[in-house]
Amino acid sequence: MIEAIPLDHVVLVATTLFGIGLYGVLSRRNAVAILMAIELMLNAVNINFIAFSMYVSPDPTVGQIIAVFVITVAAAEVALGLAIVLQIFRNKSNINVDDLDLLRW
Amino acid sequence: MSIAWLVPLLSVAAFVLLAFAGRRLPGGGAIVSLVAVAAGFGLAVYGFFDLRAADVAVNEGPGPFAVDFVSAGDLSVHLSMVIDSLSITMLVVVTFLSFIIQLYSVGYMRGDPRIHWFFAVVALFTAAMLGLVLANNLIILYVSWELVGLCSYLLIGYWWERPLAREAAKKAFVTTRIGDVGLLIGILVLFKATGSFEIDQIFELLTAGEIPAGTITLAAVLMFLGAMGKSGQFPLHVWLPDAMEGPTPVSALIHAATMVTAGVYLVARMFPLFAASEAAMLVVLTIGTITAIFAAVLALVETDMKRVLAYSTISQLGYMMFALGAGSVTAAMLHLAGHAFFKALLFLGAGAVMHGTHGIVDIDKLGGLRNKMPVTTWTFVIGALSLAGFPLLSGFWSKDMILSTASDGGHWVTFVIGVVTAALTAFYMFRVIFRAFFGKARSDEARNVHRAEPIVAIPLVVLAFFAIVFGWLGSPLIGAPFGDFVFAGHHAAEHGESIWVVVISSAAAILGILAAYSVYQAGKPRAAAIRAAAGGLHTFLARRGYMDVGYQWLIDNVSLGLARFVAVFDRKVVNDAGVDGTGLAVRLSGKGLRRGVTGLLYNYAALMVVGVVILAVAALLGSA
Repeated sequence: MIEAIPLDHVVLVATTLFGIGLYGVLSRRNAVAILMAIELMLNAVNINFIAFSMYVSPDPTVGQIIAVFVITVAAAEVALGLAIVLQIFRNKSNINVDDLDLLRW
Repeated sequence: MSIAWLVPLLSVAAFVLLAFAGRRLPGGGAIVSLVAVAAGFGLAVYGFFDLRAADVAVNEGPGPFAVDFVSAGDLSVHLSMVIDSLSITMLVVVTFLSFIIQLYSVGYMRGDPRIHWFFAVVALFTAAMLGLVLANNLIILYVSWELVGLCSYLLIGYWWERPLAREAAKKAFVTTRIGDVGLLIGILVLFKATGSFEIDQIFELLTAGEIPAGTITLAAVLMFLGAMGKSGQFPLHVWLPDAMEGPTPVSALIHAATMVTAGVYLVARMFPLFAASEAAMLVVLTIGTITAIFAAVLALVETDMKRVLAYSTISQLGYMMFALGAGSVTAAMLHLAGHAFFKALLFLGAGAVMHGTHGIVDIDKLGGLRNKMPVTTWTFVIGALSLAGFPLLSGFWSKDMILSTASDGGHWVTFVIGVVTAALTAFYMFRVIFRAFFGKARSDEARNVHRAEPIVAIPLVVLAFFAIVFGWLGSPLIGAPFGDFVFAGHHAAEHGESIWVVVISSAAAILGILAAYSVYQAGKPRAAAIRAAAGGLHTFLARRGYMDVGYQWLIDNVSLGLARFVAVFDRKVVNDAGVDGTGLAVRLSGKGLRRGVTGLLYNYAALMVVGVVILAVAALLGSA
C-alpha cells in the first residue's frame, strides 16, 4: 500500500508547498500572513523528512522524530511571532511589515 | 657598613616631610633637612673608618643592600649598592658640603617666601646625589642621575619670577638632556652585550674578555656623552655659566661642588670600562683638555663674579676628565674632592658679597670690599690660592698629581695645556680678587657693603680650613694616604710626583698671580690698554666664543626647522590623511553601503533565497 505513492510524487508535493510558502513570505505585507506562509514552508520540510525516512533511510523513526521536533519548534516560533505582532499592532495599529522601518537609514 | 642605604633615605624622608609640611614649620623647616644630612654625614664618616679598617679597594666592596626592584622574565633589577673607597669618599664629601651649605643657606635665604621648598629640593638633591654615588646598578644610577638633573632645574629656576632664571633652567635641562640620552643608550648597549645592569657583573664579564672591543668603545663613549652634559664639558658646557641665575648656595652645592662632578664620578666608577678602550680614553683626555683651556680663557674676560667661578668650575672639571683620560682615578678623585671644598668656599664667598651688596656681582662695580668684609675677603683669597694651585695648599697637590699623570703618560700636549691653564686660572682668580676686594669701591653698594653675619661666615672659615689641608691627603710628603685609600694599597703609588712638575706648576701659578697684579693692581691698571690691543679677540671671548649664538642658530634653523617639518607632517599626513582619512573612508563607504539596507523584510528574504539558491547550485555543481 505504501509503495502505491512513489517518492517523486511526494517530493513534488513538498516542493510545491515550499514554493507557495516562499511566495507568501516574499509577497505578503501582512505579518500574520507571513507567519502562516512560514508554517507552510516548515510543513513542506516535514513532508520531505517523513518521505525520505520512509523510502531511503534504513531506520524510518529518525525522520519522524525530527518532524516532531520541527512541529514543536514551529509552535514555539509562532507563539513568539504572534506575540511580537501583537505588540507591533498595539504600537502602530497595523501589522504591515513595510511600515516597520525604524532601523532604516 | 650595611646601613649605608640609610644615608640617602634620610634625605628622602626630609624631602617628603618638607615638601608636604615645610610651610607650617618654623624657618621653612630647614632644621629637618640639616638634621637629616648631618646624620647622613655621621653615618658616612662611620662607614669611611669601617671601610678603611676592612681594607677594601675600588669596586671590591660588597653590595650589602640588594632588594628586588623590577623582576620580569630574565630581567631583574636590584636596588643594589656598592660601598667602596670611591663611593664612600663621595659620600663623605657630598654630605659634608651639603650640611655646610645648608647651614649657610639658613642665613642666606632667610625671609624668602618659598624657603621650605628650597630646603625640600636641596634635601631631594642630596638624596639623589647619594643614590647616584652608591648605585651598583646602572638603572638606579640613571634614575638618580635624572633626579639630580631635575633638582638642578628646579633650583636654577627657583626664582622663576625672573625671566633669565627660567631661561637658564630650561637651557640647563635641555643641554644636559642631550648628554643623558647618550648615557641611556650607553647603558642599554652594555645591557645588550652583558645581559646585566649590575656594574660588578659587567666588570666581571669585562675582565673575562666577554665583551667585544667595539662594544666597549661604543658604550664608553656614549656614557662619556652623559658625563659631558652633566659635568659641563666642551661643547655641552654652555648651560653652566647661565645656571648661576639660581640662588648662590645652589650654585655652590650643585653647580660647583657636587652635581657637576657626577660626570667625573661616572667615568671614575666605570673606569675599568674606559680603561679597556684606548679610543675612549683618548676621547676623555681630548675633551677634558679642550674644556680646561677653553673655559679658562673665557673666564679671563667675564665680569660677573659668579660666572667667572662657573667657568673656572668647567675648567677644573676638564682637569679631572683629563686626569681620568690619562689614566689616574686617584688624581681625578683627589682633585674632585679638593675642588669641591675650595669651589664651594669661593661660591659662598661670592654669595656673601652678593648678600652684602644686595645683588651686585659685576666686578667692575665692586672694589675695596677688603676693608668692610675681612672674613669673606681672606677666605676667598685662600680659596683662590688653593684653586690656582699655590704651593702647599689643597689644589696644589691634586693639580700636581694630575700634571704628573700627564707627563708620566707622555701626553705632552695635554701637559703643556694643563700648565698654561694653571697659569690662566691663577690670573683670572686674582683678577677677580684685585678688582672686587682691593682698590677703590666703584659703586655705592660696594661702599655701603655690610659684614657677613656669623651663620654665613662660619661655613666660609670651615671650608677655608679644608681648602688648605684637604689636598695633603694626596701629598707625597706624608705618603699620599688618599691614593692608598682609594686603591687600598693594592696599586701602590700610581704616579710619583717628579720635582720638576712641581716647580713648573708652582711657577705657573705664581706667574699668573703676578701677571694679574701687574695688570690690575700695580700703579695704574693696564687692563683697558690690553683690551684695546686684543681688539677682536676680546669681543670673541666676551661673547663666549659665539657658542651661544651658534647654538641659538642651530636651534632656530635646524631644530625648529625640523620641528616645523614634523609639525606639518603630523598635521597633514598623520592627522588629515591618517586619522581623519580613515574616518572619512569609513563614512563614505557607509554612505554607499547603506543604500542596500532598505529595512524592508521581503528584500532581505529575497536576498536570502538568492543566497540559498546560489549555495545549492554551487553544491550541485561541486558534487557533479
